Amino acid sequence: MKRFLTITTCPIEESALLAQRRMSQSMGAAVYFSGVVRVEEDGKNIRALEYEAFEPMVQHQFELIFREMEKRWPIESVRLVHRIGIVKVNDSSLWVEVIAPHRGEAFAACQYLIDEMKRVVPIWKKPVA
Amino acid sequence: MNVHVSFYSYFKDLAGTSRFMATVPEGSTIGDLCQQLVARFPKLAGMQKSTLIAVGVDYQDRDHVLNEGDEVSLFPPVQGG
Repeated sequence: MKRFLTITTCPIEESALLAQRRMSQSMGAAVYFSGVVRVEEDGKNIRALEYEAFEPMVQHQFELIFREMEKRWPIESVRLVHRIGIVKVNDSSLWVEVIAPHRGEAFAACQYLIDEMKRVVPIWKKPVA
Repeated sequence: MNVHVSFYSYFKDLAGTSRFMATVPEGSTIGDLCQQLVARFPKLAGMQKSTLIAVGVDYQDRDHVLNEGDEVSLFPPVQGG
């Protein structure tokens, strides 16, 4: 399974990411997800979220998740981009893509990746009013 | 022995610092270290049940025995995405 992990302060350019997609002829499903900052956090309006990461551990924990994905599903590639620093409302803070032979395993793997990220990957956010 | 402690997210605000050098007896566990940290940084006391702890880049339990020079990180539940 190919993996591409990017932790960045730069905006997520979804069109560029989609243009870079590579799928072999035996792959039938490309599932991708974009997480976008909402205007409301804990009942209050915000301008942005500020993300902080413990980066060496982020890299390691994502690698552990990727290894588990590889065991569970026949995934060809996974790409994940996570913003850190200030991310404005309506901007994407997370972009994930999973490519697999069939939609069931692609959806399941994408869901698993995001669920596990929210459980173990040391990234935090705080609202910017 | 000495261990390096790092605080992340709002634990930095509660501790008033992002880094702290703790001196603990040989054979001390993470639980022993946490007792010392709560005594030194009382605002962390209320967070104990929700605190996540790593040594290096791996999560560890409170009964994990520390070694000289370990890099211990304490932080609240993660919130990526």
